Amino acid sequence: MSQTTVDATSGDWEGRYDHIDQVLNTAGPRTDPGFLAGDGVKDFLRNQAKILVIGAGGLGCEILANLALTGFKDIHVIDMDTIDISNLNRQFLFRPKDVGKPKATCAAEFIMNRVPGVKVTPYFGKIQDKDEEYYMQFNLVICGLDSVEARRWMSATLVNMVDPENPESLKPLIDGGTEGFKGQARVILPSITSCYECSLDMLNKPTAFPICTIANTPRLPEHCIEWASVLEWPKVQGDKKLDTDDPEHIGWLYQVASARAKEFKIEGVTWSLTQGVVKNIIPAIASTNAIIAGMSACCNEAFKIATSSAAYLNNYFMLIGTEGVYSYTFEHEKRDDCPVCGGESLDLTISKDLTVEQIIELLVERQDIQIKKPSLATPTSQIYLQAPPQLEQATRPNLSKKVSELVAEDGEVTVTSTSLPFSLSLRIHYN
Amino acid sequence: MTDVQDIEAVTTQVKIDGQPDQKTRKYDRQLRLWAASGQSALENARILAISATATSTSILKNLVLPGIGHFTILDPQQVTPQDAGNNFFLEGQNSIGKSRAKEATRLLAELNEDVNSAADERSLEEILESETGREWIKEFTLIIAHNLEKGLLDRLAKLLWEDAKSPTLVVVRSAGFLAEFYIQFHEHTIIDSHSDSTPSLRIDKPFPALLDYALSLDFDKMDPTDHGHVPYVYILVRALEEWKKTHDGKPPQAYSDKKAFKASILSKKFKQDEENFDEAEAQAYRTWSVTGVPSEIQALFKDPLSPSSAANAATPLTPDSPPFFHLLDALRRFTEKEPFVLPLTSTLPDMKANTESYIHLQKLYKKRSEEERDVIRELVKETGGEVDDATLDLFVRNAHAVKVMRGKRWGVLDESEEALGNAVDPSGKPLSIHLALSALSEITAKQISPLTVEAVTKEAQTILPKGKELPEDWDNIVGEMHVFSPTADLPNTAAFLGGMVAQEVIKMITRQYIPIDGYCTADLIETWTGILLA
Amino acid sequence: MLKIWSMKKNEDVAAKKKPKTSAAQIRVQKDLTELDLPATMKTHFADPADLLNFTLTITPDEGMYKGGAFEFSFNITTNYPHEPPKVKCLQTIYHPNVDLSGNVCLNILREDWKPVLNLNSVMVGLQYLFLEPNADDPLNKEAAIEMSKNRDTFISNVKSSMRGNTIKGVQYNNVLAKS
Repeated sequence: MSQTTVDATSGDWEGRYDHIDQVLNTAGPRTDPGFLAGDGVKDFLRNQAKILVIGAGGLGCEILANLALTGFKDIHVIDMDTIDISNLNRQFLFRPKDVGKPKATCAAEFIMNRVPGVKVTPYFGKIQDKDEEYYMQFNLVICGLDSVEARRWMSATLVNMVDPENPESLKPLIDGGTEGFKGQARVILPSITSCYECSLDMLNKPTAFPICTIANTPRLPEHCIEWASVLEWPKVQGDKKLDTDDPEHIGWLYQVASARAKEFKIEGVTWSLTQGVVKNIIPAIASTNAIIAGMSACCNEAFKIATSSAAYLNNYFMLIGTEGVYSYTFEHEKRDDCPVCGGESLDLTISKDLTVEQIIELLVERQDIQIKKPSLATPTSQIYLQAPPQLEQATRPNLSKKVSELVAEDGEVTVTSTSLPFSLSLRIHYN
Repeated sequence: MTDVQDIEAVTTQVKIDGQPDQKTRKYDRQLRLWAASGQSALENARILAISATATSTSILKNLVLPGIGHFTILDPQQVTPQDAGNNFFLEGQNSIGKSRAKEATRLLAELNEDVNSAADERSLEEILESETGREWIKEFTLIIAHNLEKGLLDRLAKLLWEDAKSPTLVVVRSAGFLAEFYIQFHEHTIIDSHSDSTPSLRIDKPFPALLDYALSLDFDKMDPTDHGHVPYVYILVRALEEWKKTHDGKPPQAYSDKKAFKASILSKKFKQDEENFDEAEAQAYRTWSVTGVPSEIQALFKDPLSPSSAANAATPLTPDSPPFFHLLDALRRFTEKEPFVLPLTSTLPDMKANTESYIHLQKLYKKRSEEERDVIRELVKETGGEVDDATLDLFVRNAHAVKVMRGKRWGVLDESEEALGNAVDPSGKPLSIHLALSALSEITAKQISPLTVEAVTKEAQTILPKGKELPEDWDNIVGEMHVFSPTADLPNTAAFLGGMVAQEVIKMITRQYIPIDGYCTADLIETWTGILLA
Repeated sequence: MLKIWSMKKNEDVAAKKKPKTSAAQIRVQKDLTELDLPATMKTHFADPADLLNFTLTITPDEGMYKGGAFEFSFNITTNYPHEPPKVKCLQTIYHPNVDLSGNVCLNILREDWKPVLNLNSVMVGLQYLFLEPNADDPLNKEAAIEMSKNRDTFISNVKSSMRGNTIKGVQYNNVLAKS
C-alpha cells in the first residue's frame, strides 16, 4: 500500500502534477503575454475548464488520455460508434472483450479508472443530437473524426454560435486527422480564422471510377468490386440497404466481384480489397494518432490555448512520416466566399409592416451591399426565390406578405444572389 | 485467455467464405500499409526499453498495439508520485512505491495478448558490468533509451557500435516542450521503400513482344470503338517508331519536335473525345525521357561499402553476404548489359482501354518481367547468393527505389568539431535544440547546480568548436528549457515522441518506408520538427 | 484561457452573427436561384419547401431524342458540394449512356466531380448526352453497339423506344412529350 496522501475531493496527491507544474509556474521566453503563471492557471486547468472531445476512435483515445494526464478534470466525449475488432490495433482504451460496446462509454470508463479524479462524461450518439446550448458549456472542442460531414457540421455549428455580444460563445476548435504515416492538425477560432468549410476543396476525395468503365471495360480488381457494389447490389437486392459493416454483405460483394474478375481474367480481388473499396478504408496506426494527438491536435494545442502557456498553432500543421520525418505549418486563409464563415452579415431593424417585396427593394437600394435579384430563405422555409420558375411562382405570393409573418424577431434570413461572392445573412429585428 | 474466447464469440457468429481470420482482421488497418511481410518482421522483433518513463511507455504502447513479438522494460526504480501523475501506464497512486518496470510492463502487456513481455529490475549499469549482461543486451532487435544518463548512454552506444550485428539503438531525449531522437545503426537496407516514383514502362526502349504487337495494329482500319480503346502504351510505341524513321532513328528532342510529335498523336484521333489519345499526348514525355538506371541506384552500385563482385570492389561479395547485396550486385550486372535498364515492372498503371486490350498488354509486361526476373535469379546464383522467390519478386518490383542507408555512432556529432561546425546552419534551430539537450545532459552528469541559463550556455559553448557562435535561436531554446525545467516529461511531449519514435522503429524493423537520417528535433511550443544531419 | 476575444476587437463586431442554415442548404439555394436553364429543361419540386429533392425534365429540341421528355431525379445530400448530387433517370430509356436501372454515365457525376461545379453544370451535362450520345463508353452496351455499327437501326430503335415499344426483349417507357 502506498503512503501517499490523496486529497479526497480532487483525487490529487502530492507531486502528482510536478512535471506539468514546471511549465505552469513561470513564464518562458515565448509565453503569451496574457499568461498568468502559477495558481490561477492551474485552477483554471484543473477546476474550471470543461472540454469536449468528439470521436472516441484512434485519435479520440489518445486525446482523452493526454487531456486526463495534463490535468483537465471535466471532459465530455461523443461518439456514435461501437467497437470493432479492427479498432484494437490502435484504440488502446479498448480490449477484445469490449467489441460491440459503445466507444464513448468504454473510453470514459477506462480513463476514469486509470486516471483518478478525472470525470469523463460519455454520450453514445450523434453530434447532431446536441444543440447550441449543449456546446455552449465547453471552453474548447477537440475533434478526432474521420467523417467530412460530421466535421463540416461541427465547424459550422461553432461558427454559428459566435455571438458578438458574448465572448464566451467563441469556442476554439482543434481538429486532427491521420492517414497511415501522415497526419494533420489545425486550430480553428470560429469566425476569426479559416474554418473547416474554407478548406473543403483541399480534401482528397475518394477515388471514383467512371461508371461506364465499371459496367463495360473493367481493368482493375477495384472496377469489379464497384460493379458489385454500385450496379449489382441495387439490381439484385432491391431496396435492401448495403451495410458495409455486415460481413455477409461484404461476403456477397466479394463473391460477385470475384466472379466478374474471373470472367474478365482480372487478378487481385480479395476480401480485404473488397472491404477497403466499399468502406473507403483509410490505413491507420497508433503511432501517427499519438503524434497528432500529442503535438497538435490535440492536446498540446488545447493545453496551450487553455493555459496561454505558449502561442497556439496558427493554424494548420501537416506531417509526412513516410520518408524521414517532414512537417510544416502554414496559415490557411479564411475564404471570403466561404458559405459558413465568409460573406457578409447584417442586422436589419425594420417595421413590422414591411412586406417581402419592400425588403427586397431595400436590399437592392442599399449602397453598401450592391445586391441584384436577391433570393431569400429562412433556415426552414423559402421566402422568395428568383429562380427556377416553379419556385419563383410558388414563393411569389410571399412578396405581398409582411416579413413579420414569415420571420420571427431575431430570426435569420439567408440571401443569395449572383452579385454576392456567396451569401448574405440577415438578422431581422422589428421596431 | 478469456479475452480470446470472448472475441471469438463476438466475431465469429457468421462464417463467410474468404473472410480473413481474427488476426488479419485485428491488424487490418496496418496490414494495408506494411502487408504480411512487415507484420511478420514486427512479430519477430524483440524490443528493450531502458527505464519506464512516460515517454518510454508511450513509445512501447505504439509498438505493442501493432504487435511486436516481445518487449522488456529494464528499470530498477520504484514508482514515485511524480511518475504516477504523468504516466498512463501506471495506475495512479496505487502504483506508487511499486516496481516501475513491473507496473508498466503489466499495463502495457494488456494492450495486446499476442505480445510477450518481461520486466527486469536490474540497472543498466549492472548489466553493462558483466559479459553475460552485455551479451544479454545484444540479443534484442532494437533498444530504446529515453533520457539516459550521459555516461551510461555513451557506454551503451559504444558497446552496440562495436559489432555491426548488434541491436539498433534509438536515443530519445526530451525536456519540457523540446525533444530529439536519433537512430544508431551501421547499415540499413530497404527493398520496399514505398516510393512515390513509378518505374519506367520502357516505351522508349520497347521489348520485342511489345514492339511487335504495337506495330501489328492497324489504327486506320480499326473499329471506331476499338480505336477509342487502344491503350496509350501502344499508341506511343508506334508513334515513336514512325517518328524515328524520319528523324535519323532519334526520338523528339527539340521543343518544336516534341510539339510536333504530340500534334501527330492527336491527329490520329477518329473523334474529338477519344481519351486514350489524350492520355498518349499527356504521356508523350515517356518517348523522349531515356529509360536508364536512376542516379540513386547507380550510386549504390559504386558505393565502396556495399559488397560487390566487381573486380576492384573494396568489399568483396561472398556467399555469406546479406541477400540484399547479392540482389543489388545481380542488378548491377543486369544493367551493364543491353539495353542498360532495370528489370521491367510487372505493374501497369490504369489507362483508358477496353478489358481485352488492357489485359493483353498486362500479360505482355508480366511475361517479360518474369523473364527478366529469372535472369536476375541466375545472376544471384553466380555469386552464390540464396534468395527466396518472394524477396526476389519484391526486389525486382522495387528495383527503381531500393535504398541503402549508412549510419553513425551516437555521440560522433558532439565529439567532432568538423561535423558540428558544418551543422551550424543559419536557422540553427535543430542545432540549438540538440546543443541544449546535450549541454543539459552534461550538466546533469556533472551534477552542477543551480541549473541556470548561463551554465547551460557555457556548457554548450564548450561542445561547439572554438570560434563558432551559438545559433540565432539559442536564447529562446535555452530559456524555454531552463524555465520549462529540464526534468519535465510532459504527457503531450511524451505522446508525441511516443508516436514519432514508434514510427521510426516500425520503419527500421519492417525495412519498409524510409527512416530519419540524422537527429530529428522538435519544438512543441511552435508545433515544429526539423532534422539535424549527423 | 487564451484571450481570443481580444483578437476580434478590430472586426466589425455587430455584423458577425451567423444563421443556422447549413452550408449545403445555402449552396443549393445559390445553385438553384442562379440556374440558367434553356427552355428545354425544367425543374419540378414535389415539395417546394424541400430544395434537396427534385426532378429535372429534359425535352431535347434537336437530335435523335427530339420529341421525348426525359425525367431525372436529383437527390442532394447534406454533404453537398463535397459529394456530387445523386442523379438517376426515372424512366427506362434506350440510350447508350443510361442503363436500364437509370444509372447515368456522366463524368462529373462521379470521377470528375469537384465542389466548384454546380447543379447547372450537371444539368447541362445531362442535356448534352441527348444531343451527343457516346457509343464508346456505354452503359447500355446493346444500344451502343447498334449506334456505332448501324446508325440507322439505332435511330429507329430510339424513336420506337420513345413510343414505349419493346426492343430485344426490353420494354421501354413511353417518353413522348405531351404537348
